[in-house]
Amino acid sequence: MATESVIEISGLSKTYGSGSKQTLALNRLDLSVRRGEIFGYLGPNGAGKTTTIRLLLDLIRPSAGSASIFGMDIRADSVEIHRRIGFLPGELSLWEGRTGDQIIHYVASVRGDTRGIAKHADELAERLDLDKTKRVRDLSSGNKRKLGLVIAMMHSPELLILDEPTGGLDPLVQQTFHDMMEEYRAKGKTVFLSSHVLSEVQAICDRVGILRDGELKAVESVEKITNVEFNWVDVTFRDAVPAGLQQQLDNMPSITDVSTNGTRVRMRMIGDFDPLLRAISGGYVEMLHVEEPSLEEIFLAFYSGDEEKLQ
Amino acid sequence: MSGIVIGNTLRTSWKQILYWGAGLGVLGLYIDFIAMSPDIISGYADLLKTMPPAVLQAFGASDIQLLTTAEGWIVSVFVSEAAIFLSVFAVMAGLNITANDEQSGVMDVILSLPISRAAYLLERWIGYALIGLGIVVLCALITLAGIIGMNVDAPHDVILKSILNMYPAALLVMTVTSLLATILRRRTVAIAVSAAFVVASYIFNAIGAAAGGAFADLMKSVSYFSYINGEAFVIGTYDPADSVIVLVAVLVGFALSLKMFVSRDIGV
Repeated sequence: MATESVIEISGLSKTYGSGSKQTLALNRLDLSVRRGEIFGYLGPNGAGKTTTIRLLLDLIRPSAGSASIFGMDIRADSVEIHRRIGFLPGELSLWEGRTGDQIIHYVASVRGDTRGIAKHADELAERLDLDKTKRVRDLSSGNKRKLGLVIAMMHSPELLILDEPTGGLDPLVQQTFHDMMEEYRAKGKTVFLSSHVLSEVQAICDRVGILRDGELKAVESVEKITNVEFNWVDVTFRDAVPAGLQQQLDNMPSITDVSTNGTRVRMRMIGDFDPLLRAISGGYVEMLHVEEPSLEEIFLAFYSGDEEKLQ
Repeated sequence: MSGIVIGNTLRTSWKQILYWGAGLGVLGLYIDFIAMSPDIISGYADLLKTMPPAVLQAFGASDIQLLTTAEGWIVSVFVSEAAIFLSVFAVMAGLNITANDEQSGVMDVILSLPISRAAYLLERWIGYALIGLGIVVLCALITLAGIIGMNVDAPHDVILKSILNMYPAALLVMTVTSLLATILRRRTVAIAVSAAFVVASYIFNAIGAAAGGAFADLMKSVSYFSYINGEAFVIGTYDPADSVIVLVAVLVGFALSLKMFVSRDIGV
């Protein structure tokens, strides 16, 4: 993989409002995204992901700092940059009274190549199983999302900027989307996508940046981030929780945060399940539920010093 | 400037020319129909004579004798009523230039395309300016067709010019609304302030016309309604400088909205 930067962000800050109502949405962001990689931009809602994307697209103006895409300044050269990128907003709004075909034709004509782009749009729509003849107001949220993806990708841009791209898509279409991203990477193109869905990031990204409260906390490979993974385990007994189980679980190094509520025990666990299964075998287990941790929890575990303890 | 946004604006909104143009044209036909009967318009003039001069002035009837002629009747009544309806269109068009797309979020998609903000605003403005022109021309043609079809004795060129003279003022209202939407950022607030601008202009014109003195003249001069003076074409006092003043105000308003739109955050 080439190490040339496609996106270069330096000290980028954004403050909304003024006076006492001032809110710092992004604080001195430094970030570099390399050509040919799929970069996951992660963080909880309100972390500053969309603000970063809107700054890169010159929809909003930075309070401080600068950024470049393809070596061009995001403000001075925004038109030339936009020619080479595709964008899917997190909250996609399109002209409600117009059909997918009409919107695709309009966007393609602004991009200056209706014939070539429309042909590729047809291919993408077929892969995503999108009916372009329907009016936007008649499309489900998932189908609107598909139309947004077609609009973002139909001119085969060198860089795709996608804000929560798979929200509302069914699992089959999500898989198709993941395949498309793999194809993009194989062609040496770059994808910058924001998400708060860990499994999606694990499936397609090379590196991730973790954003929290407007600050970039870390940039790591997906492999490293997900190595600290743990699970929340819920065990529901038919009868009462077996006597002494709580103490037994408290003494197990791979289990923490044990709480009991009636016939239910909840705990945080890493590693193999066998020790837990042996411990709970004294009671009649009605249900065992394993829950993937949220990205925030993994992040906290990774960066709050719990990493060694977890591993 | 590629013209693609202009074309798209016309493609998506051309029906407004039909709806508004035909609607105003029907109003014109109705006024033509009344103008066919000299008894009705002279009766109307007699009714107006019973009102105090200041009240007459406030309603735009500066010369009652003028109202007894067909062209005076058509121009005074039609233009003063059509100008109000056209102002409503102009406010809606001004909002359509950027505010509606910005508030709905469509603007994020548009401005991620290879088109500058300035080019986009200019093309949208031209698109709606053309739609406004289409409306004025269509309503003028329908009104003229009524005059010809009903055999009303009124000079066609005077009627045509007085109706077309509404266009610069419509452009001004559209531009002011667009500017307000660019500054205020909220569609509802922009509607409220634009409506206040239209109503205030109407009141200023009415009071300015009714009252005498320097201050009243000033009030009248800042009202765009005072520049839609159809009677001036009938009595031959039309001054092209009046239209130039309105068009200069349009240019200044557009330049300000361009400056604001290019420099500020979008969708915030």
